[in-house]
Amino acid sequence: MAKIEVVNVTKRFGKFTALKNINLEIKDNEFFVLFGPAGAGKTTLLNNVAGIQIPEEGLIRFNGEIMNRIDPAHRNVAMVFENYALYPNLTVYENIASPLRSPLYKKDNATINREVHRVAELLRIDHLLERLPSQISNGQKQRVAIGRALVRDPNVFLMDEPLAHLDAKLRHYMRSELKEMQSSFNTTCIYVTHDFLEAVSLGDRIAIINEGSIIQVGTREEVYYTPCNEFVAALVGEPEINLVDGRLFVDNGKYYVETLEKGYLLPLPESSGIVRKLVDSEVTEYHIGFRPNNIKYTFEKKDGLIRGTVYSFESIGNKAVLIAKVGEKYIRMIAPNDLKVKLDQAVYVELPIHKAIFFDAQTTNFIGTSDEAAIYRLVQEQLSKGVQ
Amino acid sequence: MKRKRIVSNAVKNGLLALYALFALFPLFWMVLISFKSDAQMFNTTFIFNPTLENYDAVLLRTDYFKYFIDSIIVSVIAVLISVLAGVPAAYALARYDFKKKENLAFTILSFRFAPEILVVLPLFMIYQKIGLYDTYFGLIWVYQLITMPLLIWVIRGYFEDISVEIEHAAQVDGYSWWQVFLKRLLPLIKPGLVSASLLAFIFAWNNFTFPLMLSGTYVETITVASLKYIASDTVHYGQMAVAATVSALPAVIFALLIQKHLVRGLSFGAVKG
Repeated sequence: MAKIEVVNVTKRFGKFTALKNINLEIKDNEFFVLFGPAGAGKTTLLNNVAGIQIPEEGLIRFNGEIMNRIDPAHRNVAMVFENYALYPNLTVYENIASPLRSPLYKKDNATINREVHRVAELLRIDHLLERLPSQISNGQKQRVAIGRALVRDPNVFLMDEPLAHLDAKLRHYMRSELKEMQSSFNTTCIYVTHDFLEAVSLGDRIAIINEGSIIQVGTREEVYYTPCNEFVAALVGEPEINLVDGRLFVDNGKYYVETLEKGYLLPLPESSGIVRKLVDSEVTEYHIGFRPNNIKYTFEKKDGLIRGTVYSFESIGNKAVLIAKVGEKYIRMIAPNDLKVKLDQAVYVELPIHKAIFFDAQTTNFIGTSDEAAIYRLVQEQLSKGVQ
Repeated sequence: MKRKRIVSNAVKNGLLALYALFALFPLFWMVLISFKSDAQMFNTTFIFNPTLENYDAVLLRTDYFKYFIDSIIVSVIAVLISVLAGVPAAYALARYDFKKKENLAFTILSFRFAPEILVVLPLFMIYQKIGLYDTYFGLIWVYQLITMPLLIWVIRGYFEDISVEIEHAAQVDGYSWWQVFLKRLLPLIKPGLVSASLLAFIFAWNNFTFPLMLSGTYVETITVASLKYIASDTVHYGQMAVAATVSALPAVIFALLIQKHLVRGLSFGAVKG
């Protein structure tokens, strides 16, 4: 139960800079997700908050108190390690009980017993308590590691990919369980993941981190609808967003973007304010992002749609990804699973210009979005936060 | 099928028995000799009049127990010092990155390369000069050459096998560094520690060259003292056998006590790294 601040933190390993001037403020009771590709510095940041590593520059503050010189034991943090880090010589029971037996957070035996059983039941490992870590599966080990954190009442839970090794069903269950637990326990949680679904389903806010720098911090809607650059847009969303080149085109006072093929013009929606943004940015070359789930397609020739050929069709469970080749570009879109489709057959694609995200082609930074509904929702969200 | 297994088991056991005979026969022979009188030493093999004469002569009428205690003092303290200094050294070699780390580790190992006889003469001169000659401390000190490299190298492998996150997890759990070390790491390296210590003890106990040259009157180990039974006129094989038999006991007893750690302890961890 603490507010965590990370102020100008830089962490180096020899000549390699793992964290570059990181600034974060994690609110009390917030479920904060660190989301980024492998090697981005997520775990390093977590280790710095835990006190396992000390930053070369910058401050770590819990509730305003500077923690840089406090050792991990006295920071009262609970951490779930990616490789579980269970004590191989102790039973599952003793592993979970370990924090409650430590000199700093000592509890009496009755309390330990009750807490261990409560957590074990929650994690569905109560039948394994007498086993050694070598006698259980990886998914079970991971749950023991989570259990060792959950028995405590710490300042902050630090979770390093805690669901990575669970099977899909269990992961889904644990995800909702963690979310519920977090809201009922009133604890701050920093959660590291490289899984987009985990990030958006768990995080009150998401920090996207890459190569040791924070790229964007925002709610799931913010990072999804208004990603600050192409990197974030590509990272958030599955299948990945389509980015196509586009150019501003003005004809008779009407604004269009020319994209995919020469002379293929999409009229910009007037009401969304995107025209204003594009003109103000003084940029005329764009990368335009279209989410696969917004793209419509048909197999019959229709005016205004661009022709392509079916490049691949792949089922991803309850839906499928259809990739169409349009000119030299591959466009990903979502299709129903039972769609009858032949490779190389003609397909007509409708790019949803009213749900497009515009990036500067040079800097790859966000310029604006034409998605009115999304903007409206984001504004509402901001307002409701302001009221709080 | 079943019959085949019985036959193969019988062959296996037969070969093992043969090997046991081969390995244990010298010991058996030694024990046998220790019960023979000098007169029957050479003209009997298995049938003779057993006598406790040799035991009486060695254990009661000489300073045998003094030598025995000297050996114990020197070997046990040498191993204890090696454990106290070697475990932290092994930890540092396994966990920390510092310049010339591998060179240092190799240097430690290289103490075991040179034959003792090569260094013992200069050591003799030095010991004479600085007053370490014929002292417990002098022997314990020089025994570190034997015991320390062994301990460091075995235990280093053990520490390297323990993932560093286990230490981090224990710290986060609320244990101070020392408690992490004692409560979480020590149980994990225990098999290696116990077996490496035993081996170091045996090496120290069996050492002959160092105590021969670096001690002699005030401190005398059992290996050197055994020579006393070679008198100018005759060699008392029976008495030597008694001295050797009794001196083999501590190692045997320790080995039996820690048997379950022994093989696993030396093969596990030590090979990796």
